[in-house]
Amino acid sequence: MPTRIEILAHKDDGRANKIEKILESMGVSSSVRAVDVYSSESAAAKEKTFADSLANPVTQKINQTPDDFDWALEIGYLPGVTDNIGHTTSELLALSSNDNDDQACYSSRLYLIKADTNRDEIDRLARRISNKLIQRISVKTNEEYKRDGGMDVVIPKVMLDNKGAAADKVDLNISDEELEVIGTKGIANQDGSRRGPLGLSLLYMKAIQEYFKKEGREATDIEIETLAQTWSEHCKHTIFASPIDEVTDGLYKHYIKRATKEIRAERGDTDICVSVFSDNAGGIIFDDEYLITDKVETHNSPSALDPFGGAITGIVGVNRDCVGFGQGAKPVVNRYGFCLADPRSRPNYFRDKDCTDSLLPPSNIMNGVVAGVEAGGNCSGIPTPAGFVYFDERFAGKPLVFVGTIGLIPREINGKPGHEKKANAGDKIVMAGGRVGADGIHGATFSSVALDEGSPATAVQIGDPITQKKMSDAIVKEVRDKGWYSGITDNGAGGLSSSVGEMAEQSGGFHLELEKVPLKYPGLSPWEIWISESQERMTLAVPPENTDKLIEFFAKRGVEASVVGTYTDSGRAEITWHDEKIMDIEMDFLHDGNPETPLKTTFTRGGDPEPDIPEPKSYDQTLIDMMGRLNICSKEFIATQYDHNVQGSAVLGPIQGKGRVYAEASVSRPVLGSPKGVVLSQGLFPRYSDIDTAAMAAAGLDMAVRNAVAAGVDFNQLALLDNFCWCSSDEPERLGQLKRAVEIIYDMAVKYGTPFISGKDSMFNDFKGYDENGNAIKVSAPPTLLVSSIGVIPHVNRSISIAPKATGDLVYLLGATKDELGASEYYDHLGHLGNNVPETDTHQNLRLYKLYARASRDRLIASAMAVGYGGLGTTLAKKAIAGQFGLDIDLSKIDLRADKALFSETTGRIVVTIAPKNKKAFERNFKGFEDCHYIGSIAHSDNLFIRDILKTDIADLEKAYKATLKDY
Amino acid sequence: MTAKVIVLSGYGLNCEEETLFAFKHSGLDGDIVHINDLIENPKMLDNYQVLAIPGGFSYGDDTGSGNAFAQKMKLALWDDLKKFVERDTLTIGICNGCQILVNLGLVPALNEYGQRDVAVTYNVSARYQCRWIDVKIENDTPWLSGIETLHIPVAHGEGRFMMENDTLKALKDNGQIAARYIKADGSYADEEFPHNPNGSVHDIAAMTDKTGKVLAIMPHPERGMFAWQRDDYHELKDKAQRDGITLSDDSDGIQIFQNAAKYFQIAIKKSA
Repeated sequence: MPTRIEILAHKDDGRANKIEKILESMGVSSSVRAVDVYSSESAAAKEKTFADSLANPVTQKINQTPDDFDWALEIGYLPGVTDNIGHTTSELLALSSNDNDDQACYSSRLYLIKADTNRDEIDRLARRISNKLIQRISVKTNEEYKRDGGMDVVIPKVMLDNKGAAADKVDLNISDEELEVIGTKGIANQDGSRRGPLGLSLLYMKAIQEYFKKEGREATDIEIETLAQTWSEHCKHTIFASPIDEVTDGLYKHYIKRATKEIRAERGDTDICVSVFSDNAGGIIFDDEYLITDKVETHNSPSALDPFGGAITGIVGVNRDCVGFGQGAKPVVNRYGFCLADPRSRPNYFRDKDCTDSLLPPSNIMNGVVAGVEAGGNCSGIPTPAGFVYFDERFAGKPLVFVGTIGLIPREINGKPGHEKKANAGDKIVMAGGRVGADGIHGATFSSVALDEGSPATAVQIGDPITQKKMSDAIVKEVRDKGWYSGITDNGAGGLSSSVGEMAEQSGGFHLELEKVPLKYPGLSPWEIWISESQERMTLAVPPENTDKLIEFFAKRGVEASVVGTYTDSGRAEITWHDEKIMDIEMDFLHDGNPETPLKTTFTRGGDPEPDIPEPKSYDQTLIDMMGRLNICSKEFIATQYDHNVQGSAVLGPIQGKGRVYAEASVSRPVLGSPKGVVLSQGLFPRYSDIDTAAMAAAGLDMAVRNAVAAGVDFNQLALLDNFCWCSSDEPERLGQLKRAVEIIYDMAVKYGTPFISGKDSMFNDFKGYDENGNAIKVSAPPTLLVSSIGVIPHVNRSISIAPKATGDLVYLLGATKDELGASEYYDHLGHLGNNVPETDTHQNLRLYKLYARASRDRLIASAMAVGYGGLGTTLAKKAIAGQFGLDIDLSKIDLRADKALFSETTGRIVVTIAPKNKKAFERNFKGFEDCHYIGSIAHSDNLFIRDILKTDIADLEKAYKATLKDY
Repeated sequence: MTAKVIVLSGYGLNCEEETLFAFKHSGLDGDIVHINDLIENPKMLDNYQVLAIPGGFSYGDDTGSGNAFAQKMKLALWDDLKKFVERDTLTIGICNGCQILVNLGLVPALNEYGQRDVAVTYNVSARYQCRWIDVKIENDTPWLSGIETLHIPVAHGEGRFMMENDTLKALKDNGQIAARYIKADGSYADEEFPHNPNGSVHDIAAMTDKTGKVLAIMPHPERGMFAWQRDDYHELKDKAQRDGITLSDDSDGIQIFQNAAKYFQIAIKKSA
């Protein structure tokens, strides 16, 4: 008989209060109690001491659940879903019991709700706070509860019945039509069902058919699955690699990589790049002792299905990219970025024609992804000061979830360059960290296609940050410096098939003994073990003489590690399963056998005619309305729940000034003993793509650079990362938009001298489904380039915040303001798209940034803020709010109608304030630069005064700025 | 005199490096020791005069923050721990370390070490809070001697001290309340958010055992030990530049670590 332990929290529990609030928002007044539930089949779990170890007697009661409620709602996990609390409880049980029973414990949470309401409302509540893909819900009335003697005891143990699992043969001597079905729907099971999408085109399937014809044998399922993983868009980035129009070497090589190559050659001895594009992250010089690394990933498709799981898996996944850089870098800062639909909107999109399977509402997605990064980042002890949220209704189909990690690694480790590593033939393949389950199967192939009805639920994983933290600490704080391994990489998309496959390229082959891989539960087929994306795993290459001591050391740190095979130089990728060979293909075919698919593009500029809009009647009200817009308003609720000062490294954070304004750049000091800082920022303008993707990409890159420059970065120590999130990348027009964006960022990066060091793309951010009438629809995310910047500041005391510092200071606008409101926040506010999208003047901007860098080095600048969404008007308002100072501004020299002057989004502009005593030196610094405009001063007042245009109380601006998302 | 600090690590504790840095900066020597290594060799505690359990997310806060790590320590190390605190030593638990000390019953230990008298539980907001706060120091114990107020950050999801009324009264009577959240004007926060960031009863941010040598503190002094870590650093830096003075590197939090040095009569290193 399984044991169920119920721990009742005190009456005023914060989690119960939260449920009351949600019910209140549904119009139901209630009183709620929270109960933590632990279930286990272990005999030891019956001991009183075990239950005692789960409760604090001051606030919690054990198995004394009151029955004076109307509804009982319990939420637990489905079998096989990562249950972190259950996992910890299992460890506690193992500590306190001596026998070797199955000590598995499972957690769930029970809410006892006193409320006069009906089952429908309770079900609605359950849907708001749970996800049916991963969780089970059980609801009982008080009567049912009493009749049944409480809630049911549920042990969500995985039961798989495919005993004696083996690799299946797959006959490829079939028609093209049948090949295509395998490519799109997967290999057939014996019962005729399909195993899920492989994302292999007919062209690819034919190449595979041809290969096995040449080998003179049938393929196995695991071989086809491996090729699907390795050749997936997600892993191979085929769109960026393929010949496109006249660009025979592809967009990536021809533009992105070439930009970096040319910049590095030009810089010569002052080149900051050390490791670019070849490892799990890019690395640049921090100081004589350390490199800093950076990598930004996306986790869009999983986040659409399970926002919390998708986001936490994303952030802990990119942490592993950092740990897997070179010989192992220590994660020191996290980044985040979310592109979402308005959380107040409720679009009716369905996966099926009968409208029974609806997409999650935008508010659930926002709450989930925010919480996922919170849990992942905070639990891992990595500060998360840098991020953004961008809203557009088209992200309702698929949100974009960006996650990044900055790492720190010694330039020399054990006498070798820290960024170098190599798996040698003869090295053992060691898998460390979590065990393998059915989670995340087909994650890589599925994120390379559009989301639809067939999207697999097994694609969802939930990260376990503590298991990873134990492994990560063991590696970067201890094992790395012992020199026991020769190579390391993380297990991300594609699991072992990717990590082993990639590392084996260095040695020239591998032999994996798949039965040696530790499993979460029995019954997995060989191909599932091989491609599973179960989290928290690293793969190492370890010389045989070191394996025992390595595994023993890991065990002392609570980390499981196992030898699962050998790196070889056989030129073959070999897998055995209980001594039977189930995979044996040429390494060359595995990595380079995918046929080239030349791409063709077309391009048509978008946009409407410039609108003829009446001048606002009240500029005060217009500015107040603009401040409340989603892309302009405060996201402080995210910043304060992300630990941004752990590691003690925070210098300039996400919230700046007395008035607490959400900022777009951060500065950290990752080495406590060194005054040097890391400056991070980013830029993106998805809506500009509606007119021209070149303008979109240019504005994003410029913003990423300009934010960092404004914060005081050394312009010569600034590098960039590119993340392309496109849509419908099988359409020539979308590819044309892509090519335009890539062309312009090549040009800009080379001119600015800011190299790309790492990048990633996600090419199919489309949702294909149905509206509420069952009509087929496609919702495509606007083509989005996120450019992230990372740079070094020689001393953190040179960093500059956005908040003005003293009354009497002078305000300058650096950069020209043009009639560029196409796709701006202002036009969107008025329901227009327009045409004059900001065109970036790289030459002029570069002049400004260099002059600015000199002024900031000379400490002439008291505050600075780059002009972004909503233009000069919102920038001035944010500065007034941040400093809690009035501003007295005169914009009469800008030769535009007032609303255009205020809200144009011309790039390349920075608003600065300086102390009056620095006026001379400041103006001398910018001598000869025509766009250094004195526009006013910081006033001893409580309003933003712009002569002849508006005079608005700072309190009103602040209220609007902070009201929009205050309830999240 | 010298004194050595042992800073624990493992299972999701994560502030061990900056915590050790704070002690070393104040003149103490010390090591980071993984909890499993300490369990394997508990006698190593004899070599140390200060025990620090740093912040973090031990066991992911599962089963209540600090609980699982405390259970592990209790099962494997209780006698050694008790012996350690009964010697002439200092012990500090910061944030997750504070939650662990409370669950171990080392603080406040009204009757004896080992009994849980208070709980540190979910913030009233049911949300993690990372923000700067002000606390007023309430007792003159070795860790806090000579300190009046501290401007330092909190970063926790479960920082709300809860206890029976009798317990609160005993803590007051014994002078065991170490720090309370205050507003900018110096008055007590009166459980008002965000001054009191978690709803802690009586605005309690930190407490000690009866001897005052064991301190459990929710805010993070090691994240507010240098001026450049402060939320108002850019304002202070700008003002210093205008006034033509050099801004001191040290900030409020470092005093706690310096007090440990003072207790063992170690000359404190002063920053510029």
